[in-house]
Amino acid sequence: MGWRSMFSILRRNSLVPLLLWVQVALACAILSNVVFLAAQKLEPMLAPSGMSTRHLILASQIHSQGRAWTQGEVRGATRMLREVPGVKAVSVAMGVPLTQDIIFDLALEGSTGAKVGVNAYAGKGLVDTLGLKLVAGRDFRPSEYRATGIGGNFKTAKQPVRPIIITQALADALFGGKAVGKLAHNPEVRVHQDYRVVGVVRHLLRNQLNLANDGRSDDSVLLPDYVKSSTLLDFAIRVAPGTPSGVLKQIRKVIHDQFGPLMGPDAKAVVNFYDVLRARAFESQRDALWMFAGIALTVLIVTLVGIIGLTGFWVQKRTRQIGIRRALGARRGDILRYFMAENAMIVGAGAVFGMLLAYVGNHMLMQYYELHALPKSFLPTGAIAMLVLGQLAALGPALRASRVPPVVATRSV
Amino acid sequence: MRYNFELALRGLRRFPKSSVLVVLTVALGLAACMTTLTLLHVLSADPLPGRSQDLYLAWVNTLTSKPSTSHSLNGVHPVDYRTIKLPDAEAMLGAHKAVQQTALADMTAVVSNEDGTRKQENQTLLATTSSFMPMFGVTLRHGRDWSAAEGKAREHVAVIDTHLARQLFGTTQAVGRSIRIRKTLFRVVGVSEAYSPQPHFYDLADWTFSTGPEFHESVFLPYTSALDAGLGPDYDQYCDDASHKQFMEGFEKFGERHCDWLSYWVRLDTPHQVAAFRAWLDDYAEQRQALQGIHRAVHARLFSIPQWLTVQRVVPDSVRLNAWMAASFLLLCMANVAGLLTARFLRRSGEIGIRRALGAPRRAIFVQHVAEAAAVCVLGGVLALPLTLLGLWILRLQQHGDSSLARLDPAMFGFLFALALVVGILVGLVPAWRASRVEPGLQVKSA
Repeated sequence: MGWRSMFSILRRNSLVPLLLWVQVALACAILSNVVFLAAQKLEPMLAPSGMSTRHLILASQIHSQGRAWTQGEVRGATRMLREVPGVKAVSVAMGVPLTQDIIFDLALEGSTGAKVGVNAYAGKGLVDTLGLKLVAGRDFRPSEYRATGIGGNFKTAKQPVRPIIITQALADALFGGKAVGKLAHNPEVRVHQDYRVVGVVRHLLRNQLNLANDGRSDDSVLLPDYVKSSTLLDFAIRVAPGTPSGVLKQIRKVIHDQFGPLMGPDAKAVVNFYDVLRARAFESQRDALWMFAGIALTVLIVTLVGIIGLTGFWVQKRTRQIGIRRALGARRGDILRYFMAENAMIVGAGAVFGMLLAYVGNHMLMQYYELHALPKSFLPTGAIAMLVLGQLAALGPALRASRVPPVVATRSV
Repeated sequence: MRYNFELALRGLRRFPKSSVLVVLTVALGLAACMTTLTLLHVLSADPLPGRSQDLYLAWVNTLTSKPSTSHSLNGVHPVDYRTIKLPDAEAMLGAHKAVQQTALADMTAVVSNEDGTRKQENQTLLATTSSFMPMFGVTLRHGRDWSAAEGKAREHVAVIDTHLARQLFGTTQAVGRSIRIRKTLFRVVGVSEAYSPQPHFYDLADWTFSTGPEFHESVFLPYTSALDAGLGPDYDQYCDDASHKQFMEGFEKFGERHCDWLSYWVRLDTPHQVAAFRAWLDDYAEQRQALQGIHRAVHARLFSIPQWLTVQRVVPDSVRLNAWMAASFLLLCMANVAGLLTARFLRRSGEIGIRRALGAPRRAIFVQHVAEAAAVCVLGGVLALPLTLLGLWILRLQQHGDSSLARLDPAMFGFLFALALVVGILVGLVPAWRASRVEPGLQVKSA
């Protein structure tokens, strides 16, 4: 049987294949969008942090009421934290990974002309405390640090060119590879500020996790700022391997004793190991992933049931025709191949329309909601899933059809 | 009709396996749709039924600094709650150009009884004017609200809610007692019923939806005496002569006269009043701008509540997107069921042929099969109810914010069955049409 007869059969009995086609198109459109949304949620979870996270403790939401913490208070607390047994390094910071209490929002433009929005972390010795891997250049020199803080009373020295440490991903985006010694500037602010790249780290996860997708997870930089006086500050603390977990209690006590009195009744510092904070930071992402997995699975099952049901009926309806063809010399394999090919054709047509539907639907929703554009690479995911599913669903009915004995043709005509 | 119904039931029982499949599929589609729609329905409900259509937020653009409204590459953009400075609020209150008007701001404080033996931390206070309660429909259980004269005289009076009254005084009969806020004693003149409209539209800075008991105002007091007691707003937006340094300390540094911190609400009953007030507001803002030597393209804005909720994106996009996704899933389920029903109806071609041959018109066959489809889908709707409740329970388990509010109300319950019926009829149309086309002669011959 050639393609032409297949078409003519489809044309004459168009309702059943049409219903199948609609189903496949809808399922395909939903699936590629769901897979894309899930990938968006998954990307920040899979992104490398760039840090040595096993013995890292982060403290955040240390927020004073009334006045900023003085340089003396910040220094005193840092010293006391260093004295806790097992603590190897302490950095006072403005912004630490996984927390969004302080977001340094910066834009950079380098020699390639690409403008990239980045998150910055500031604090003395962050490269060591976070355990970042320098792949080129060097860490900041002590003389390069300048005072920073929110609401503190101090003057910041003007630096026409500020040293900066960027990630490898940023080096590629801003300079097309080698970055050390090169200049970038902020295209968004009116005051011109240049940044000279002094070092490149392999990875560093940004703290705006909602933006850590589309390959933007490594869009973060380090600035040579030390926290002098501030109403809001964070700590990064590295402890020695093998330190008992009781160290967390001691660190919490130091932070509570040193900062508690000014923090107000309802403010609460968040102090915990990186891994615990990570699990918490990705909680909503994980929930969303489960939901998407559930949707995808349900869509697949519903479609599978639908295809099996329709194909089964259609085969049954043509039992006599199959018998005639078998009597006329068609082999079992021919019948099997015919039904599988027919299924592939209907499902394939549905999948093509489904891809179009997915694309159009995504773009229509984008007009009204904050939604990323569905990349074309995601379109075939639904289509391939549908083709495989269709073949699986058709296998049973097709095998049944191939077992129809030729003698059926002679009955009850 | 009864005959059709009987035939439908018989049909259901004839193919139990495919009936179960159809019912399950419909139930899944309906439940997904209902779960997401219920959340959307809860989040986009009218916060003050009966009153909200007459309330408007008025904003005048009189800051001498230009607040940045830029949208950075990182998507960081300053939220603008359209608050105004105290001098403007007082001038507008004094002008009395609307039916009713009030200015308000949330503040946070520790509230205790007279001698400080009972204390409630982290209470939200609404600093406002005497018009707030009648405008926004706060019900009093005991006593009265304060008068405009008391507000003007900066008297230390307050209305507390029954919950706080019980916590501080052990009884709701707290009129005549006093509460202490910082160092000031406020006389309790009234006790109000708990008040927390969803969303908290009149001041979105502190919270949007009350997802816990801590999200409500327990004290209402005149803004004049709140300022006298040394209280300040929880959030101020921008201040005159703003620079980066004012971040987090604007109000303390610049004070109530130079920072935007009051939300200004008016009641306007007719379109004519709205137009007149809008014109007056624009004029007022233009004059103020001229006086301060600033020029802005936009002088003032007047937002109705629906406009305000849209501008502030009160209902998260993700909730609407999920509803779209669920709707397309329902569509898939409908296509699926249409297919299953076509298969089932055509399997009885013989029977249909006999009915046709015995004189049943096409219409009767059509109606019979649509009825059967509707019956199956309503059955699916019944099964969708527990599935929807399960879905909502799962939503509530995800303890991030708004989804904890998702509950099925009677309106949505009714909607579920209406939707099931409509889905059933729509889904039945094509298969029933196909069944009604069955030729009598052909079928009788081969049966």
